[in-house]
Amino acid sequence: MAASIAPECNDIKDQETLATKMKLPRKYDTCFLKWYSEKYLRGNTSSNDCEELFKKYKTCLNKSLKEKGIDTMLDDARKSSSETDSEFLKKS
Amino acid sequence: MKFFENVFTYDYSFPAVSLAYFLRYPNPYSRHVLTTDVIDRYVDPATQRLHTVRLHLKKSKVPAGILKLLPKGMGGSDSSGQSYILESTVVDPIEGWMETESRNVEWTGILSVVEKQRYQRHRTEEDLQALDGLSIDKKTEQTTVRTTVTFRSRLGQGKLLGRKKAEAIDHPDSEDEAPKKGFFSSLSTAGIQRTIELIGVSRTRDAVMKSKQGMNVVLERLRSGGIVGVLEGMRMDREAAFGPDGPWKRVWLQGSGLKERVYVDDEDN
Repeated sequence: MAASIAPECNDIKDQETLATKMKLPRKYDTCFLKWYSEKYLRGNTSSNDCEELFKKYKTCLNKSLKEKGIDTMLDDARKSSSETDSEFLKKS
Repeated sequence: MKFFENVFTYDYSFPAVSLAYFLRYPNPYSRHVLTTDVIDRYVDPATQRLHTVRLHLKKSKVPAGILKLLPKGMGGSDSSGQSYILESTVVDPIEGWMETESRNVEWTGILSVVEKQRYQRHRTEEDLQALDGLSIDKKTEQTTVRTTVTFRSRLGQGKLLGRKKAEAIDHPDSEDEAPKKGFFSSLSTAGIQRTIELIGVSRTRDAVMKSKQGMNVVLERLRSGGIVGVLEGMRMDREAAFGPDGPWKRVWLQGSGLKERVYVDDEDN
């Protein structure tokens, strides 16, 4: 899976596997894919195997987004997302 | 405002396609995607749907055609050549659909591009029978995706609206003059907006095609199990249910006619 915008979070997000010289989905990504394919898609939707890893990854990521000054931009984008939708519908 | 619409059917099951969507970067057609992060992810306890918000960082250039329409300095040399894309998805594994929405985060006044996709499981009668174990698989499960992209430029709009209002207040009697002015200025603004929107549309045709090819590469890789064994458990389950040559294997084998072309193209790059 793709690299994180915050290189320091990559340990949590994922890790390099030298044996194959390929970037393999790593800790969180691996956890998610396993959970998604083996549990969630098969109807075991209430399990949350990757919650702890995601919290760690998110903490690390949020710090980086803040440092880059992207956090507020993203908040605005997520807020305006629903607003523009209703605006689009009105005008078209 | 401009729209782009496209419907496409993958010869893969819905679980495979939805998994490939989350796994689609990196692929040979996504070299412009630099990073991908999960900003938010949760299962809605009421609906059991999985909500995901991801942030992609992509290499991008403002097209020359748009650049020359912009006021000096905008989108110019200070531009980093990178742009953020915010992607939201909702998956309903029971009903077999996934909805995605991707939008640009910056420059939305110049051009706001919103891509929406709806992936829908598509089963034939034969499939349902096969799933009941009444007959061997005759047809495989397919997944249809409808893509709509909306382009909207608001360049110059704020100013124009402001001026119209001012005119109406200052010269309530001069109705003969005001509409003319408004007409011409709105024409040129609309013209620029339309040009920008059209450039967006033409670039999107190419991008949508590439993203499909990218998805097919990922689906193909999943099929061969090369990247991760994510589907191993799934496959084994299917085998347990249908035997070693069950529908799952056939899904993969029929999967992608694009395979060969995809790899040839990749070598050319």
